[in-house]
Amino acid sequence: MDVDFALIGHQESWRAAADLVAVLRGPVRAPLPDDEIKDILPWIPPRAVCHVDIRSTAGATARGVYIDSFIPPDRLEAAYVHENIARVRGAAASAIKAGAKIVSLGGFSSILIEGNFDQLPERRDTVFTTGNTLTVAFIVQGIHAMCDLEGRNLRTSTLLVVGATGDVGSGCVRCLAPFVKRVLLSARNGERLRKLAAELKSKGIQVDIATNLEQFSSAADIVICAASLASPSLLPYRISSGAIVCDAGYPKNLCRSAETPDARIFFGGLGQITGGMKFAPDFGGILNRHPFPDVVHGCLLEGMALALEGRFEPFSQGRGFITPERVEAMESIAARHGIYLAPLYNADGPVQDPLHCQTASSTAGVGEPSREYFANSPS
Amino acid sequence: MEPLLDVNASPVACTSLATNAPIWQDILAQAMTGELLAAMNYASLSEICDDPAEVADALEHAEGERGHAASFAAEGRKIGVHVLNNVDAKHWKRLREAFLRCIAERDFIACLIVQEIMLESFAVASYSRVGRVAPGTLGQTFARIAAEEEDHVDHAMSILRAERALDAQRFDDKVHRLHVEVMTTLAQMLAKECKDGHCEVCHASCVKPSLFDVRLSAAELRGASLQQYLKTLDMLGIPGELTLEWVTQLPV
Repeated sequence: MDVDFALIGHQESWRAAADLVAVLRGPVRAPLPDDEIKDILPWIPPRAVCHVDIRSTAGATARGVYIDSFIPPDRLEAAYVHENIARVRGAAASAIKAGAKIVSLGGFSSILIEGNFDQLPERRDTVFTTGNTLTVAFIVQGIHAMCDLEGRNLRTSTLLVVGATGDVGSGCVRCLAPFVKRVLLSARNGERLRKLAAELKSKGIQVDIATNLEQFSSAADIVICAASLASPSLLPYRISSGAIVCDAGYPKNLCRSAETPDARIFFGGLGQITGGMKFAPDFGGILNRHPFPDVVHGCLLEGMALALEGRFEPFSQGRGFITPERVEAMESIAARHGIYLAPLYNADGPVQDPLHCQTASSTAGVGEPSREYFANSPS
Repeated sequence: MEPLLDVNASPVACTSLATNAPIWQDILAQAMTGELLAAMNYASLSEICDDPAEVADALEHAEGERGHAASFAAEGRKIGVHVLNNVDAKHWKRLREAFLRCIAERDFIACLIVQEIMLESFAVASYSRVGRVAPGTLGQTFARIAAEEEDHVDHAMSILRAERALDAQRFDDKVHRLHVEVMTTLAQMLAKECKDGHCEVCHASCVKPSLFDVRLSAAELRGASLQQYLKTLDMLGIPGELTLEWVTQLPV
């Protein structure tokens, strides 16, 4: 049966992979030992794992499929880039075969493909989106929410964006730079950094750039880590005491350390589909490993929002095209269907109290999203 | 038991592979046994074919598989080992019995599924891996035979795809029934350790722990085989989420 949307992702940890396999094996068979999971998973070709039914608070419904590329959790480094691109290509082929009208690429898949869309398989009736525009929207919303929560003034803050020239990083910079005192941009590619800085300076924004965080002369009090950091210990450089830190990388691995004991860390880029989401077979507790129900990465939610809207278009493609106007347009589409910023949390748990979460997430009430639709749906 | 077919002649001394010769001996023995079993299966298949062309085809395949067995035996001679075979070894015997049940039911499609989709996936994947690491003509022989087995699969695929087009649900149910029967045995054979005792093909103790010495591993051979199997099922059009469930439910 054809589906409206497809989501391409993979498991973030061996624990998550083991849980997935345990569900597939069913309740009768014993779970596989960890060493067997690690031996078997890398050999599984990309394929559909389950169907995903979603509902808009405006009443629309859409059916999708979750496709796992089965990228092993310990093979995210550059050494495996060709192998991983091949896996994303294979997953894309599965999405096309499933008849998906729109395909959202998960965060890491987007990073692999954002500059290489021509490497996706030939397709006629399927469009692809990196989903990065909605990811940016939720990161920016998260920064605003944390500033409100912590009583910070964005206008007097120095913003540091690590991974500033990537698609998500540059989108965040364009959205937030006009509203802060100063911007520090960090990335590996000096030429791209200079280009982005010139764009911002032409708008009167104070900008410093560096390919190494130690090179900055001032400290930041708001930080967005849009690059996946191999070691969170890179962060202490140039971070003020009590800085707000958004972990927008993949996988999310930032936590408070001895060097940054006062950092206010939150996992950014996550949204919640308040109309409800159901997996068949029931992988709910496996594919949503967040501490709140129906929470999904913004990149995947973008495809869902577009499917609910009936707009099957490649909203986010390439690198560096995310503007505040595009972000606003995507936020509007998502909000029309009850897709909002997820309650903020980090490795230690929620950073907001439940009452605040409910207010922030608008209609459905976080923790208890509407279940009426699913109660009446065939399983 | 005695080898079904003695295609070995006097061993010829070979020094280059001498160190690992006992390992290659067991790898060759498993491969040779598989080829002889395939030859027997094709010969049995010829007995239930109605179309003379299909009979000829099955007999030709049987002959081809015997040729492969002879090639493996010849590779053994080159490195100075006698390659045994035992189609009555416990796992291989169960695989043969499963095939004979399909023959008894005169179910041509089931026979193709067992031989071409399940057993050949295992052969193509494992021979390819061995072909990459085995030195000289030994590696070339494994690679050549892997390619020839892949041609078999291509031939069967068109027949099976046409059959699935008639009634996909019925076809998928049949594949699943055969999967439980045949792939469970293959998964036990491919397990990282032989937990049920000696396989009755290796000439001494189990070869699996020694595979690292020839840049192979039981986990790699199992992984590659299951991957090939999943890809073949994908080509048949069986939903990927279904086959994923089947494979993850196999014993390890």
